[in-house]
Amino acid sequence: MAIAHPFDYVKPKSLSEAIKIMAKHGDRARIIAGGTDLICLMSDGAVKPDLVVDIKGVSGLADISFKGGKLRLGALATFTDLIESKLIRDKFPVFAEMAGWVASNGVRNRATMVGNICSAVPCCDSGPILLVYDATVLTKGPKGARKIPLEKWFLGPRKTDIRRGEIVTALELAAPKKKHAACFVKLRRYKGEDLAQASVTVLAVSDNTFRIAFGSVAPKPIRGASIERRLKGFPLSEERIKQAVALVPKAVAPITDIRSTKEYRGHMVGVMLERGLRAAASRLQGKGPKYGEELI
Amino acid sequence: MKKPISIKLNGSVRAVEIEPSDILLDVLREKLGVKSPKIGCERGDCGVCTVIMNGRTVRSCLVLAIEADGAAITTIEGLQADGPTPLQQSFIKNNSFQCGFCAPGMVLSATELLAKNPDPDEEEIKEAISGNLCRCTGYEPIIKAIREVARNAPKSSRGKRR
Amino acid sequence: MSDPFKFVGTDAQRIDGVDKVTGAAQYVDDLDFGPNLLHAEIVESPHAHAEIVSINTSAAEKVPGVVKVVTGKDFPYTFGLYMQDRYIFAKDRVRFVGEQVAAVIARDPKTAKRAAALVKVKYKPLPFVLDLKEALSSHASLVHPNLANYRHVPWFFPREKTNIAHWRKTRKGDVEKGFAEADVILEDTYTVPRYAHCAIEPHVIVGLYDLAGRLTLWSASQSPYTQRNVFAEAIAPFGLTHKDVRVITPYVGGGFGGKAGVSMEILGVALALAVKGSPVKVRWTRAQEFYNTYQRQGVIAHIKLGAKRDGTITAIDHTLHWDAGAYVEYGANVVNAVGLSATGPYRVPNVKIDSLCIYTNLPPGGPYRGFGYSEFGFGLESHMNRIAQKIGMDPVAFRRKNAIKEGDTLAYGAEMNPSGLHEAIDRVAAEVEWGRKEESENPNEVIGKGFACFWKAPAMPPNAASAAFLKFNEDGSVNLTVSGMEIGQGFLTVMAQIAAEVLTVPVSKIRVELPDTDRNAYEWQTVGSHVTWGCGNAVRAAATEAREKMLETVHRALGFEKKDLYLENEMVKCRTKPDFALPFKSFVINGIQTSHGNFLGGPILASGMFMPEFTSATGDPETSQGGHPNVHYTVGAAAVKLAVDKATGKMRVLKAVLGVDVGKAINPDLVRGQVTGGLLQGFATALYEDIRYSKQGKLLNPNFTDYKIPTAKDTPVEIVPIIIEVAQPDGPFGARGVGEHTMIPTAPIIANAVEDAVGVRIKTMPVTAEKVLLALKGIDYDDVKGDTMGLCFMDKAENYKFNVGAAKGK
Repeated sequence: MAIAHPFDYVKPKSLSEAIKIMAKHGDRARIIAGGTDLICLMSDGAVKPDLVVDIKGVSGLADISFKGGKLRLGALATFTDLIESKLIRDKFPVFAEMAGWVASNGVRNRATMVGNICSAVPCCDSGPILLVYDATVLTKGPKGARKIPLEKWFLGPRKTDIRRGEIVTALELAAPKKKHAACFVKLRRYKGEDLAQASVTVLAVSDNTFRIAFGSVAPKPIRGASIERRLKGFPLSEERIKQAVALVPKAVAPITDIRSTKEYRGHMVGVMLERGLRAAASRLQGKGPKYGEELI
Repeated sequence: MKKPISIKLNGSVRAVEIEPSDILLDVLREKLGVKSPKIGCERGDCGVCTVIMNGRTVRSCLVLAIEADGAAITTIEGLQADGPTPLQQSFIKNNSFQCGFCAPGMVLSATELLAKNPDPDEEEIKEAISGNLCRCTGYEPIIKAIREVARNAPKSSRGKRR
Repeated sequence: MSDPFKFVGTDAQRIDGVDKVTGAAQYVDDLDFGPNLLHAEIVESPHAHAEIVSINTSAAEKVPGVVKVVTGKDFPYTFGLYMQDRYIFAKDRVRFVGEQVAAVIARDPKTAKRAAALVKVKYKPLPFVLDLKEALSSHASLVHPNLANYRHVPWFFPREKTNIAHWRKTRKGDVEKGFAEADVILEDTYTVPRYAHCAIEPHVIVGLYDLAGRLTLWSASQSPYTQRNVFAEAIAPFGLTHKDVRVITPYVGGGFGGKAGVSMEILGVALALAVKGSPVKVRWTRAQEFYNTYQRQGVIAHIKLGAKRDGTITAIDHTLHWDAGAYVEYGANVVNAVGLSATGPYRVPNVKIDSLCIYTNLPPGGPYRGFGYSEFGFGLESHMNRIAQKIGMDPVAFRRKNAIKEGDTLAYGAEMNPSGLHEAIDRVAAEVEWGRKEESENPNEVIGKGFACFWKAPAMPPNAASAAFLKFNEDGSVNLTVSGMEIGQGFLTVMAQIAAEVLTVPVSKIRVELPDTDRNAYEWQTVGSHVTWGCGNAVRAAATEAREKMLETVHRALGFEKKDLYLENEMVKCRTKPDFALPFKSFVINGIQTSHGNFLGGPILASGMFMPEFTSATGDPETSQGGHPNVHYTVGAAAVKLAVDKATGKMRVLKAVLGVDVGKAINPDLVRGQVTGGLLQGFATALYEDIRYSKQGKLLNPNFTDYKIPTAKDTPVEIVPIIIEVAQPDGPFGARGVGEHTMIPTAPIIANAVEDAVGVRIKTMPVTAEKVLLALKGIDYDDVKGDTMGLCFMDKAENYKFNVGAAKGK
């Protein structure tokens, strides 16, 4: 389908130039990074900007770095960059695990994690991972820089806390101080690419703390606070896992749509939590399953 | 408002006038005469529009032509300066394709895979072509042909897996 | 046992392989038509059923770049293959969401799209029927009030003043008596929703009505000659006939039945006529591909089966109500075909089949790989398993006992053709190790096995012919011009192999040209898995005629006795003179010079034609007895070894085995290709393809994001194709067709394997992980799925009343 409405296009060479343009045009302008979401929206006629601002001309936005205990993911880092980054595979392999289940290679080569959280669709895969690591969204705008904790970033389906003229420059998160391992489990209709009907992310830290995040079972990615509290301070046992799973129905609010029923989603979150907990704990011991292995 | 862009397409610099709202896939097919990338879904779901842009496969239905200004783009037309590649010959020999509509995209995805990973196992092959939908073959003869060309590649071309 | 053939029966390399792998292959959208090519955008109905009150095109017409805006008023004509119930553009009323109401023709696609949004259509919504129960009720809104006046083939039986477009009744023996004789009777209802073909190439057509008044269409089609015929009939009011219409079909990116007949292509014809002198392209988006081409019809089926304690089936009563959509010009024949064959490949003495084609306000149903046999096979083969269990007999042994044999009487009175069904059953059962219970290494999984038999005959009118022209070239190569379509199945290669065998010219020197109705010989359609047989016979006849002419030329010019001459390695040789070897290329164009210096012979040309002259559709309307509506059946058996995760319902196909009797595999590799491709396409319908409509009749998932078709990661762990060859006496080298059959058993073998593994019986398709898991938890999926639907039936299957009289309140 052609994009029927005409628009102008600019490719600023610096961040400040980009910010000026976005501030000037407000919601008449849209940023294009990977474009895999925006172009579909424009083809459908759902979004009709007057101006498309290509930030791929701004340097320094694609880096993935680890300094001072903090992981920094540049706004232009693609899902393929996450998969191929030695830093990610060594220190934060769950990011690569999640990225491997996003769409397909040709889309991953373009789509960015930041773009994913800016789209803020309830089924976004990046959100839960970032949430579980207490990530921060770094923005720069006409009024300066902001740091927005991820739980305050998502306001609802396709709604974020971004302000007029602001551009997300990076995501930042602190590595847990102790040894940690994680697991991302994504419910799909088959082995091929699919949007998440539900997702569970488990971060296990060697001091017996667990952080749990759920995707696609609420209007935005959420943490499982009650489950985290129940597990905190205890080594993972069959009994603890059972108790954690028993808390799932009150922790999530899945809906029924053409992709899945709330009954199945709710049930599967329990199974995914169980298997995710076991996998994260096992990985913490240096054992399998390999990152990227199918658990459901 | 028309804008001039320049693309290095299959090794030749091509200048063309486009509108910002033009999709790369349409410009390649309609203005630059390259017909191997096909129109299948225009949402990035099926892979028949795949081209290699600056060394990586992309879904050209999800790229604005103007984003490709200055880029190097390769389609299967550009792979065959010396005739069909060993990969293509393997596809031909194995009767890998039926209707053939997914073939150009498959060739490029497999080409990208073998460049990154000269000795992929079956799971890696499946992952690399999982974004290229084929309704006809059931994928078996496509996977078989890729494995054969990987196994038959001269040892010197096998780099380290990244 | 060595094969007596040199080319037939070999895994020849596809003759279109290089084209497709190098990108040389051109599909309709790849053809260039120059800067004068116009583009169309269609204005579509948002309503499932509504009167068109007015269409205001003035704003659209004023947009710069718009050449013309066309509506139903400009083309108030009907068309259709088996029944003329379809309009080129909706006239007076629309009958499904997405139906074409108008079209904007413009100089570029974006202008067409912008202008189409400016066409203002006023509708008066009408009551619509999405539910079969509603459609059959006495107060039902009629989708086609004028049904009684529609022209149709003589073997359709519409019920006027109802939504029943066709009712095929088959009655053999006495089912009441048969059930009385039975020791065990089982009755139940099964539902199969609609499915989408999802060929990767969307429909597309370019039409040019040139200044001399000649209409040429370049069409992505399985049926160029049938398209020309339907087009010519539709536009006869313009004074055009077949000689004025030419259809050219380049390579097609998949058909699966969806590119058979005429669906959106009629718009290419109409719009070309509207802009004489300019070519105009109508290319469907993926979404339109889903909601405005053909869909595989949904069906709700009730089966009552009776059997003796020793396993002999005594009677079957099979009623099928089909959700056929707003137009049934093609789909009614699916309903018809099933009405003749819904016994499955079994010997059943007492048969009652009622197959009803019911109008609904949904997209038109039509031909889809399997032509109704997959749809009825789900219920029948599930039911066969269950009644075997009720008797206490092994399901494979039960099928074997009742498996149809050559000479058995079919449901409509004709005789069964030669077939290797028993061999298929035995070999498939052995390969899947039927009877051996297996364990998974994964403690969450249990393994079950499912088995089914299948059959299918081509569903064609009784005069569906094939033909071939053949000519030689100076280098001894051959051109075969046929109008069977290469839709991926390997048709071109198989025709080349047949000609190669007769002429001893290697396959690589035989070109088989894609159809052009001006130049290529006739083919009815490339459907029904029949072209290997039908066109293969025509090609063999043409090659045989060519050989005869070559031998005649040699005899006349050089004096040899024809009975001593033969062909070998592209040369004419003589049994009585071993040193004589005349290369083809020396004479197939220029003739043979005699001792007097003159030349005898000349270019060798030949033709062949095959018409199944033994078929007829003259069966009794009340019983279907009489006539020979189906040329022959291809039969087989299939089994699956399935792992089911009890905690998630997710299923893995560990092994799929399919044995099919193809008579003679002209190219075994291509047969295996059909098995692999068909099994995966079939498993997808069983496991995750899931069409959903809203309660307003709008298709909610017209895209691959939410209608999932298999990726490379979804392949079975192992597929074992088994080729069986019990010759088809009237087939080329004994061959029978095989393209559709490999999909047909897939859904019931999954359902049967699920029951074997975890003890739940799923009676509605698709058999998704979700449905299985919920069933394991005692939850009926129909109770929780919400108010979207795949089959035009909102209630639960057990609440559906099949008695049409009862539904009409009698």
